Amino acid sequence: MTKKLLGYFALGMAAIVLQKFLDNFAAIDMVSPQLVILFVVFVALREGQLFGICNGFIAGFFHDLLVTHFLGVTSFIAVIASFVAGFFYKESDVELAAKTFNFIWISAISLFVSQFFALPIVSAGELNYFYIFLKFTLGTTAYTSVFAMIIVFINGRKYV
Amino acid sequence: MFKWLSEFYRVAKNYIVFALLLSFSFFLISTNNNIHTRGLQTIGLLTTSYLEDIVKSVVNYFSLSSRNEELERENAQLVDLTAKIRRALLENGQLRSMLKLRSEITAPLIPANVIGRSTEEGKYFLTLDAGEKDNVYIGDPVVSGEGLVGTVIATSGNFCMVRTLLDNDSRIAAKLFNASADGIIVSGEFGELSMKNVSRRYAISRGDIVETSSLSSLVPPGIVIGSVSSAADETGNIFKKIKIQPAVDFSSLSVAFIMHYSRSSEASGLEEKELKKKR
Repeated sequence: MTKKLLGYFALGMAAIVLQKFLDNFAAIDMVSPQLVILFVVFVALREGQLFGICNGFIAGFFHDLLVTHFLGVTSFIAVIASFVAGFFYKESDVELAAKTFNFIWISAISLFVSQFFALPIVSAGELNYFYIFLKFTLGTTAYTSVFAMIIVFINGRKYV
Repeated sequence: MFKWLSEFYRVAKNYIVFALLLSFSFFLISTNNNIHTRGLQTIGLLTTSYLEDIVKSVVNYFSLSSRNEELERENAQLVDLTAKIRRALLENGQLRSMLKLRSEITAPLIPANVIGRSTEEGKYFLTLDAGEKDNVYIGDPVVSGEGLVGTVIATSGNFCMVRTLLDNDSRIAAKLFNASADGIIVSGEFGELSMKNVSRRYAISRGDIVETSSLSSLVPPGIVIGSVSSAADETGNIFKKIKIQPAVDFSSLSVAFIMHYSRSSEASGLEEKELKKKR
């Protein structure tokens, strides 16, 4: 168990570092792929909803602490994303959900829902919610899904 | 009751934890401007800066080669630019002093660029880009802003050749400005000149100015030749041994003026007449 936790911790930290890198070099008009959310969705699909929610909060907290420097925002998004992804958890079929193309649409749904609920927070006073919705909710979901696709290709194509 | 509660928790624990963590996230968001979380944010910021520094140094390491190449190219361009500026400054100085000279001398002056130098076996000639078409004649004195350069010894349509004071065959009548002593300027050693035929009775000191003499039939009087760098008496010699530092830097000279000078024909005629009488 400890080994597994340490593995997730290492994976989470790698996701945060990569996220920082992507924020700097791969952001398109401030929209960047959310690797941290992909990570928490992946964990929720493998370990279940409760573990996923806790993991989401911790990963989000570290991400806020090290990348956004605005405590609570990513925790909020990651907890919702893990919660949503947890509904797709099947104990008997962990690999199928976490390593196949299912991962792409599950992460897209989780991200969409979490980003949608985070709209009032990320809008930061911007009154044009529709623009923010298009840009941050749909934009981030689409951009992150591309990355999810890459991860699936690298990690789980043998299961497809 | 307890059983009911534990049953409720078993069924709804995910929702309870979700609600708790969500609430805690909200709480964190609300405390972002709070003094209690500022310390935590500072720690996060410092950690990120440190990590970014490491990443940057790694990235910089890989870009060092191209950066080095870029700097070398830039350095070469700067060296070239510095040489050009130095040359321009030198030329500027020369031109300034020549402008001053032009206002001081009434004789017509023909400006010319130095396009060649011949220095071998005691010869020191300059080639200028002004010739017969510019009314340059053999024997014309050549000056720069600093002083006398030499005399023209050969001309063609567009060019002329100048024998400088450093040439072994150059002989110019000169005068020590302070001592009013006349002598002959010839080439000396190591880029210096030597002044001959100055009697030991004159008190000469280092730094005394030497200029062309009114006795010269080649150059007009009063043009600076240089300054005394050393003057000494030699045993068994009635003349002083005087070394002159030329006013003109011949190695960097790039522009010069050719003067039209001819001694008064009346004076020359009188001298010739008197000499014939004596014979």
